[in-house]
Amino acid sequence: MQPLSPATLLVLVPLLPLVGAVLTLALGRVLGSRAHLPAIAGIAAAATVAVMLLLGTSNQVGSAHGPHAEPVRPVEMITTLWQWAAVQDAYVPPASSAAAIPGTAVGGAGSAARAFTIPVALRLDPLTATLLAIITCIGLVVAVYSIGYMHHDPGYPRFFAVFSLFVFSMSMLVAASNFLVVYVFWEAVGACSYLLIGFWFTKPEAARAAKKAFLVNRVGDFGLAIATFLLWMTYGTLDFHDTLSPDGTILPGILGQTRLADAGGIVGGAVGTAICLCLLLAACGKSAQLPLHVWLPDAMEGPTPASALIHAATMVTAGIYLVARSAPLFVACPDALAAVSIVGATTALVAGLIATVQNDLKRVLAYSTISQLGYMFASLGTGTLLGFTAAIFHLVTHAFFKALLFLGAGSVMHSMGGVIDMRRFGGLRRVMPITAATFLIGSLALAGVAPFSGFFSKDEILATLHAKGWPNAHGEHHDAAPASHASLSLPLERVRSTSAPAAMRLASHARSPAPAAILDTPETFRTLFWMALATAGLTAFYTFRAVFMTFTGPTRVPDEAGHHAHESPPVMALPLMILAVPSAVAGWWLFSSQWLAHFLTATPSFSAPAVMATAVPHAFHMDLAIQGSLAAAIGIVIAAIGHLGRRSDGPQMERFLGPLQTFFANRCYIDQLYAGLVVRPLEGLAFAAALFDRFVIDGLVNGIARLPAALGGVVRRLQAGLLQRYALAGVMGVLAIVFVLAWRLRG
Amino acid sequence: MPTALETFLLVRPEIVLVGGAIAAFLGGAFAGVRRGWLVAVAAIAAALFIAWAQPGAGLLAADAAGRGSIVSGPVAIDPFSVYVRFTVLGLGLVLALVQAGDIFPAAVSRGATVWRGGTCEEAGTFLLLLAGLALVGVADDLVLLFAGLELVSIPTYVLLALKRTDSRGQEASLKYFFLSLVASALFLYALVCLYGIGGSTRFDAIAAGLRAGGDGMAMALLPVALGMAMAGAAFRLAAVPMHFYAPDVYEGTSPGNAAVLSTLPKVAGVVVLLRLVGLAIPGPLGDGTVAPGAAAYTDLFWQLAAVLAALTMTVGNVMALVQTNLRRLLACSSIAHAGYLLTGIAVAAAAAAVGTGGGRDAIAADSTWLAGLGGATATLFYLATYALATIGIFAAIAYLGHRWPEWTSGSGPRPPRQEITSVEDLDGLSGTNPVAAFAIAVFLLSLAGIPPLPGFWGKLTLAISALEVDWNAPITLGSRRAAFVALAVILVLNAAIAAAYYLRIIAAMYFRSTKRGVQADGGLAAGIAMLACLVLVGLVTLQPRGLFRTSAAAGGAISRTPVVAAADAMPGSLATPVATNR
Repeated sequence: MQPLSPATLLVLVPLLPLVGAVLTLALGRVLGSRAHLPAIAGIAAAATVAVMLLLGTSNQVGSAHGPHAEPVRPVEMITTLWQWAAVQDAYVPPASSAAAIPGTAVGGAGSAARAFTIPVALRLDPLTATLLAIITCIGLVVAVYSIGYMHHDPGYPRFFAVFSLFVFSMSMLVAASNFLVVYVFWEAVGACSYLLIGFWFTKPEAARAAKKAFLVNRVGDFGLAIATFLLWMTYGTLDFHDTLSPDGTILPGILGQTRLADAGGIVGGAVGTAICLCLLLAACGKSAQLPLHVWLPDAMEGPTPASALIHAATMVTAGIYLVARSAPLFVACPDALAAVSIVGATTALVAGLIATVQNDLKRVLAYSTISQLGYMFASLGTGTLLGFTAAIFHLVTHAFFKALLFLGAGSVMHSMGGVIDMRRFGGLRRVMPITAATFLIGSLALAGVAPFSGFFSKDEILATLHAKGWPNAHGEHHDAAPASHASLSLPLERVRSTSAPAAMRLASHARSPAPAAILDTPETFRTLFWMALATAGLTAFYTFRAVFMTFTGPTRVPDEAGHHAHESPPVMALPLMILAVPSAVAGWWLFSSQWLAHFLTATPSFSAPAVMATAVPHAFHMDLAIQGSLAAAIGIVIAAIGHLGRRSDGPQMERFLGPLQTFFANRCYIDQLYAGLVVRPLEGLAFAAALFDRFVIDGLVNGIARLPAALGGVVRRLQAGLLQRYALAGVMGVLAIVFVLAWRLRG
Repeated sequence: MPTALETFLLVRPEIVLVGGAIAAFLGGAFAGVRRGWLVAVAAIAAALFIAWAQPGAGLLAADAAGRGSIVSGPVAIDPFSVYVRFTVLGLGLVLALVQAGDIFPAAVSRGATVWRGGTCEEAGTFLLLLAGLALVGVADDLVLLFAGLELVSIPTYVLLALKRTDSRGQEASLKYFFLSLVASALFLYALVCLYGIGGSTRFDAIAAGLRAGGDGMAMALLPVALGMAMAGAAFRLAAVPMHFYAPDVYEGTSPGNAAVLSTLPKVAGVVVLLRLVGLAIPGPLGDGTVAPGAAAYTDLFWQLAAVLAALTMTVGNVMALVQTNLRRLLACSSIAHAGYLLTGIAVAAAAAAVGTGGGRDAIAADSTWLAGLGGATATLFYLATYALATIGIFAAIAYLGHRWPEWTSGSGPRPPRQEITSVEDLDGLSGTNPVAAFAIAVFLLSLAGIPPLPGFWGKLTLAISALEVDWNAPITLGSRRAAFVALAVILVLNAAIAAAYYLRIIAAMYFRSTKRGVQADGGLAAGIAMLACLVLVGLVTLQPRGLFRTSAAAGGAISRTPVVAAADAMPGSLATPVATNR
């Protein structure tokens, strides 16, 4: 049998979960308690295919080490499924901005009108392959876990159908090669998220949380819509990739290799910054960053597996993906980049502070997710190659350990009869040893304790922030870097020498008559670095506070648990153990081998000259590692002082924070702020509008609406059913026409 | 007129249809064949196959290089006629299945109390109708055109009379018969006048006559020719002022017949009107001379079509608002859709009017004109989307058949089954027949023009083509651009009004409940027709370009004068809004 082509495999990744979802929906009633079968089969098959694709792409990229090290070339493959619609000659580039359309010189006039096409195209490149593998593999583990967790739930088939649908949508989101298609699936994952948060829709809090998540996300979606419009106006296409038009010209996509190779291809300035800020707004909505983070903690009303997959490991990283994918756009706008970092680091710090005083285990994890996503944004905002790969690196490790932590929390919740308040637990390590052990591994990874995975990814993020903050000091790291690690820089140098060095210089210098950057200064990044470091300490503190409150101290089990208070069934424990392995070792492996960083470099967005120019040799920064570890250690020690071995319902050490505790416990009053500033005025406006509508518009509309009906009554009277009258009316009508025509012709 | 063997070879598909009709008649009478609709399906399939294999089928391909036409005697094979032929055969295939789903009470209860549709007589008659319609498409001559139209009308009378033999059915068929006769007579006047203008029955001669015209005689004939032609077409389209019959006839006949009536005559009407528009499009011989006759002709044509379009869609929609009978409602809806179709024809006529101003090169360079031919394209595209959805609804109604009577064993003898007639009869359909309810909902939403269904693309192309007329001209009172902007606004307003009654049916199906279900006794064939329409609607939703390209190829060729530039510019475009800026 002929092996399937990569294109077919790529289509299979989203397709299989979709088939699973449809089958689950169709056969749900028949399958009953076996309704998970089609969904899990679909996701498992998709996971297999995704891993095959990852390995295949990795082979294509080539090895980072050894004598066979090759220069990194961008690797991408596009499969156009079909052309959804096309409008000919929809875009006429303004004559003045020829720079916006590089590559048209390849056989076409720069000002020729171009078509507006919406190809449903899937792409495969290292970034997509990585994310596809993460989505499907973690999806599979969480789906298996859900078999146990959702057992006996009346909505069992519905859960798996939506779950599978989510995997489909998310795969399409990261595989789509067109901003409009991305937008479609951006909405689709939002819809799946809505359905899963409100899964127990009879619970008022769940229904409200679902609504809130959806509405807050709409604000972000609005940003994406505006960004899409602007992109279309600026670039005349929405494709990521280059397309070959029938007459042999290359239509450069926004993130296509033609444009990326062109130094002036990406529009900067006000328009570019506006695009990037709109994209950032979208990313803030989906990834729960300030000021749109308020929905994620409430989203914990959904089933815990959904929280683990959607609201911790995958969907919330869509914002990271969007910014990483648009990296060249951001790199052309330094201020927008700095904004990304500022938003990220601020979010990380604020969410970390709020997390320190939460008593709901899942909410601690939710704020921790927000905080860690902030870390990733801070890293993306540095705009260096290391920053982008570090963000994705952290995304990967975070997906493992945060899914593990959530599933652990779900396991606790499952056996404690639905109670999730940490103050009512204690010493659970004796009751559920597997959960406790795996939770501890996840916590160590989250806290950034060496050698668990979070340590390495966090270290890279700190390093990239540090490099931006102290650009000169960073040079010393180069010299200090061990020679063996310098091998990555070699192939990059070769790329640089082969691909027109003049263009490189253009990329880094000629773009500037650079308007003096307002935000993009070393001072900014120095502040951000210290914020990130403080967050590292906070992270360790709240994580271990949760561990100590839940799993240590005298054994206390809430009454609701009843006879359930025991370790979860194997179908739930096994996923925990599986996830514990990468949470523990993935970081070390990916860091020491530099496989991921090297692999991602071949993504077209990252291999753009402007990004490549910022590449630095891989190095292990001992001083930063020590700083980070120290912060983590301090956090853990304080948590131990306050909570280790104490009853979790006693007076807590956070009371020493005084009024700050109330401030953090009320989530910095951000929800109240929004209620006062946005919700109440809108409600007032809505009330006024409702009055106006009822008394003014309705009267008007009802009047108008009666008009066609009344007219219809008149016309109906003409329709008397008498043949003679019909014929007469027809002939009279025709005669009238003839006379009018004759009169007009004469006149 | 020379009629060579070649001419007959060009109409092989139609000959096959007629042969199938004869076979059906003979088989029903002498061989006792019961399932005539199988014969019909086989004949149509054979005709489709032959049409596919015949030279000229490739004319529709988007990249057909040597675009042109094959003319022999009164027959012309050009992209337009090929499009019409395939449309007719494709719709015919589905309609044959719908016809088989009809069930109706027998007039005299001898033996069986109900008749099932799709007998050999009906199938044969239906095949003749299709053959006539396909001939209308290929006609390049007034005589063949009229013969084709009558070959559509006469089998329609027979079908109407055959199907329902109760008093309502007979009333309906008589009404249709008489009014159709009036319309045909009027149309014949138009043909006579056109003959008077051209001195020949051939289209190219008439076109030449129009262009060379300007003498008093031809000008005097124009209003009569146009008005009467419009009357003939309006009857087939069910447009004002010849629309009165539609509600009565649809109500009185069976769902299968209603499906035929609401689509095939409309195809005939659109073909006739577009061919008449095509008469005024100048060919290579135009060489820059202003042709007052043609200019007057097209000017009158678009004004007339635009006024009738506005009237027709408004009348149809407001009438539909107050209907409770399902088939009457759909009849009114079909009147409204005739108005939408006329919009496209008005645009095409207006575009042709622009084209008469200059030579061929000037025309080719005038993108307004090219864009304006979008009117023909939009009409053909809309016709296809409308026909799919309408046939689908009638197929669903035929498939659903009858309601269960309100009857318990204690309440006396079983009452007769009740046909689905009113909107209330569909109450709660989503619970009892979810697939049919979903299909009907999709068709209705498509008719209402809800994105991304085909009806939306259709209305969008129509509205855009109307807005494109004189795109660069300022909108001043009384100007042509203002008229078409107004027409587009009226179209959109009407679409909004129409949504009210379409949504009422959907609301009945999904939000009401009933204790009496429907029997779904229409049989497999109607069910298959319904699903086929659903699949086709789904395909056009996902990939409107395919259908659009084909319609564009056909719409660019309504005149047999080669309009190469137009045809090349159109494919693949949904609209050409800013092209005029260069």
